[in-house]
Amino acid sequence: MSDRTSIRDTDGRLTRRRFVAASGTAATVGLAGCSGLFGGGTPLEVLHGWTGGDGARAAEALVEAFEEEFPDMDADFEAIGGGGNANLDAVVTNRLGDDDPPSSFANWPGKNLQKYSGALGNVNDVWEDNDFADAHVDEAVELHQTNGTYRAVPLGSHRLNNLFYNIEVVESAGVDPSGIDSVETLVDALETVATETDAVPFTHLLSSPWATIQLFGTMMIGQHGVSAYNDFIDGDPDEDAVTTTFQSMKTIMENYISDDASTIDLTESNQKIISGDAAFIHQGNWAAGAFRNADDFAYEEEWGATSFPGTEGIYELHFDSFLYPSDNPTESKSKDFLGFIGGTDAQIAFNQYKGSIPTRTDADMSEFGPYLQDVQEDFANAEARPRNLYHGLGVVADVRTTMEDVISGRFSGPFNANRAATGFVNAVSN
Amino acid sequence: MPRPFRRRSRQSDRAESECDLSPESGDHSHGPGSGSPRPDGGTVDERTAPSSGRLTGALDDRFGDDFVESLPFWLPAFLLMGLFVYGAIVWNFVISLTDYEGFRDASYSSLDFEMYSRALNDSGFIDAAQNTVVLLIAFTVLTLGIGLGLAILVDRNIRFENTFRTIYLLPMSLSFVVTAQFWLWLYNFDDGLLNQAVVLVGLDRVNWIGDPQVVLWAVILALMWQFSGYAMVVYLAGLRAIPQEHYEAARVDGASTLKMYWRVIIPQLKGATISAAVVLMVFALKAFDFLFSLVSGYRPPNGSDILATKMVREVYSGTPRWAYGSAIAMVLFAMALSIIGPYLVYQYRRGNL
Repeated sequence: MSDRTSIRDTDGRLTRRRFVAASGTAATVGLAGCSGLFGGGTPLEVLHGWTGGDGARAAEALVEAFEEEFPDMDADFEAIGGGGNANLDAVVTNRLGDDDPPSSFANWPGKNLQKYSGALGNVNDVWEDNDFADAHVDEAVELHQTNGTYRAVPLGSHRLNNLFYNIEVVESAGVDPSGIDSVETLVDALETVATETDAVPFTHLLSSPWATIQLFGTMMIGQHGVSAYNDFIDGDPDEDAVTTTFQSMKTIMENYISDDASTIDLTESNQKIISGDAAFIHQGNWAAGAFRNADDFAYEEEWGATSFPGTEGIYELHFDSFLYPSDNPTESKSKDFLGFIGGTDAQIAFNQYKGSIPTRTDADMSEFGPYLQDVQEDFANAEARPRNLYHGLGVVADVRTTMEDVISGRFSGPFNANRAATGFVNAVSN
Repeated sequence: MPRPFRRRSRQSDRAESECDLSPESGDHSHGPGSGSPRPDGGTVDERTAPSSGRLTGALDDRFGDDFVESLPFWLPAFLLMGLFVYGAIVWNFVISLTDYEGFRDASYSSLDFEMYSRALNDSGFIDAAQNTVVLLIAFTVLTLGIGLGLAILVDRNIRFENTFRTIYLLPMSLSFVVTAQFWLWLYNFDDGLLNQAVVLVGLDRVNWIGDPQVVLWAVILALMWQFSGYAMVVYLAGLRAIPQEHYEAARVDGASTLKMYWRVIIPQLKGATISAAVVLMVFALKAFDFLFSLVSGYRPPNGSDILATKMVREVYSGTPRWAYGSAIAMVLFAMALSIIGPYLVYQYRRGNL
């Protein structure tokens, strides 16, 4: 704390952030005066974005488990919802920019950590004290570090390369989803649905670019394999592979998605599957949460799930993690919290409601439903777990933003596969 | 509710329009600095009062009567405004001259206009600026036109006048969050009300949100729906302030209804037009809320990006580019100032400030 209260930095200049930090500290000291009398100290303050549906329930379960483990700790869990994670990210950005960091906040690890470079602290001791490196999948170990230093701890994982379907619709079209093993057979199946039924063959949202970027990542793995995809995210893209992936997407977008794609959001897109107005959807398996919560809509009776065509045996990886800011206001409490997050109790409590799975390999799956048990099995037995494209692991935030520009400007109708491919190649090559 | 707007009573309260939104009503300021003695009396000449000291006397001589005595009344607000509004603007300008991005400390050692030249070379910025101007002008002109039309209709002693007024004004009381979702449903390609209507008259469905050529106009239409009621109320107040004789004189001179409004009535609504236009333009610059709610994010549909969304996106959707975001904010501020500035000058010349 001592260096934060000094108004002048090493050059003796008065900087804006020092000033804000000093006035912020002064205000905090003033406010904390009352609670300080009772010996509480600064409470743990955790920011996350799980405000609705499964997310809120999962966060509640997480808080309960935390209070059970640390009954005496004064902790403040703040859910900041809205705009996907946009509002949470904005709050975190402002607070880190003003040198007023929370104890910990939820976000994606991997390349996404670079967005916060200079603002994240070191949690090597948390990983060592709890033996997290042995308990978690190998990818978690690598993706929670920058420059060899741990910055965050994982809480759970979603799978991204899923193809969900409404069983009644695909059966009435005479399509067998388990026979779809490539992008070509997927297109054939979509054509069959289009001719045999009134349902939308493939529901997809175009109202914001993230779903299309996510689909591109999965589709590229399905069409060109994990190594071509890894080359792409690592900055050595094969332009032909990118172009053909966009061409396949163009075929689907122009022929098989719903006409109202540009006005629907994820909830409405999922709803088309639930109501039987659409046959297939590609989504992260958070979509399963929507299906599970729908009435009379049971796994393997009304809806089914399979690997996205061409990605059999692959688990496209996503992590929900908690990041640790430097200049931490509650250093030891924050580290206790992160130690808890990476443990089995927290991961079981949270993930069974969130519809994700633990990142630990030793968590007991008996509390989870049949669908998540299947996901966990796929996760454990996966031959490859490539990093996802949109959700932070594969590319840095600026590349993601450029990709959003490309999709928004060139591939949200009309669909220009070549220009979109050029944009993506340039985005990752920079 | 009483009916304060009935035309019968208009002659008695000519200048005293009921609605404060009209500049006609702004003519009764008696601030300490107005100086000009009012015919209704009551002005006490303070110069005869002995000054309490040489310093205060000097200050009073320099800055006018009551300078020191009035300090407690305006100084706190002056300082707060100075720090939190104008100080923040100045600071924002300084940040826009740096290269500040990310979470490392900003360096104020080399200040230049690099961010502004970057903006001019950024096609995304140019598009957003164009859209902002189109939105600003089209929205304001169309909203004023519809508001005037509604006001004239409502002013013609129709039945259920209050009900109509309320109906037209109601959308303005709704939050952008509500209206954005509402219009998203209206614009749904398959079962949105607008496309149902389009099909009914035998035309092809329109992809209101997904077509980059159409979406900006769809946004303008939605904002017009929300704000034309406001323009109507301002015009209504303006119309009520026009004496009955003007209508009668026009009639006696043989003017048709159309000519009467065009030549006699509408020219008298200049003040109402200007004040409504300024408010509407400022609302147009704030269309951010609507666009944000439309897509639940900082990236509006292709073709409807405006400077406000672009600015926020630069700061919050990748590595935070504080300096570039601040530069865009300054451009936006300059646009707002170029609207408000002439208005303030106009009002000052008319003696309303």
